[in-house]
Amino acid sequence: MATDFLFSINTGSTEPIYRQLIEQVRRRIASGQLSAGQEIPSVRELAQTLAVHPMTVSKAFSLLEAEGLLERRRGLSMVVAAQHTQASPNASRADLLRPTLEKAAAEARQLELPAAQVLKLFQHILNEGEKP
Amino acid sequence: MNTTHPSTTLTADLRGLELSYGKQPVLKTLDWQLQSGQVVGLLGRNGAGKTTLLEAMLGLRDLQSGSVQLFGETGPMLSDAVRARIGYVPQRSDLFEGFTPDQLLAYFRSFYPRWNTAKVDGLMSRWAIPRDQPIARLSGGQQQRLSIIRALAHEPDLLVLDEPVASLDPAGRRDFLRELVDQVLDRGTTVVLSTHILSDLERVAFNVAFMRDGKIGVQAPLDELLEHTRQVTGDTAYVRALVAQHGAQVLQRRPLANDQELALVKFAPGSVLGDDVKQLQSVNLEELFMELA
Repeated sequence: MATDFLFSINTGSTEPIYRQLIEQVRRRIASGQLSAGQEIPSVRELAQTLAVHPMTVSKAFSLLEAEGLLERRRGLSMVVAAQHTQASPNASRADLLRPTLEKAAAEARQLELPAAQVLKLFQHILNEGEKP
Repeated sequence: MNTTHPSTTLTADLRGLELSYGKQPVLKTLDWQLQSGQVVGLLGRNGAGKTTLLEAMLGLRDLQSGSVQLFGETGPMLSDAVRARIGYVPQRSDLFEGFTPDQLLAYFRSFYPRWNTAKVDGLMSRWAIPRDQPIARLSGGQQQRLSIIRALAHEPDLLVLDEPVASLDPAGRRDFLRELVDQVLDRGTTVVLSTHILSDLERVAFNVAFMRDGKIGVQAPLDELLEHTRQVTGDTAYVRALVAQHGAQVLQRRPLANDQELALVKFAPGSVLGDDVKQLQSVNLEELFMELA
């Protein structure tokens, strides 16, 4: 169960790796891909798989625990916290996308692109992702 | 594991190092501390003196002044017990080229009280190093891997890695990083890693140290630097007021034309930046390198 739990990290980003891990867990819980009781990999497993410093992983997990997204079990790997039995409503899921879109919006303004063209491009990109 | 110096958490303590090559100063009253269990990425431009610093730390360079302590013992003449706790992968391979890998490993094994044969055998086969060929005939990547195996074999508490992966392909580098993560997980090894491959460094180095002008200028957890450092471009008065208002720390400033300047500013966690945010730009490790190294 834990082995198909894929994380990806981007190096060269302005977002620290532990933040990237947090956001990925947050999105998967919001979408319902991860739900209450589901196990996530241990710090050791994930640090080895991703080849990142174990403190980076444990920092992410501790913050996710503090936020109530994960729960620690004595001697076992962490699980998704009990209250997350179903996907979040669309509105709150969309909120998670907001920071990324704000960044894109800022860049679009720097490029002085008209909003309609930016929206069209985003629509196009969304459609591309849906093709098999 | 480390019970001999329970009071000290410093693996390395370097104070006031001075070293010149002829008239050229390389280390200028350099201070540097490595906490036990840290993985520190050492960054600096070509010729900044990173190799000299690492060699000086290990007692391989004569200092004009300053002191080096490793595991609480003052160098440069280290006891065998302290030497046995150090693993070193030099930038230039110093393997005996006439030996075969097996002969080399047998030779080094005789110096160390501890030697992890299972690890050596495992890595030798995983990294496909021919055991019975003269080292001179191995590829650059194979020699580099052999050097890494030799440095890990005696289970050091301090690993000093000077461009250890320059000859390895991306898959080889990733495998090496995993090995490094294992060392940290299993032994709490203190690691100093000097490399120009920033993506590798970003993964494994929880802390980064920037070397410039013969000193360690900035050393901090990389997470903190990425989250709290912003690049500001503006006129000098604006930058000064911004820094004062937030009690921020200027890591680096560079004058631009027309009384403008570019400053790298580290804000305190939780600073509310308000409208100033428009003037501020997040930075990645490469941008930090450009300004701090």
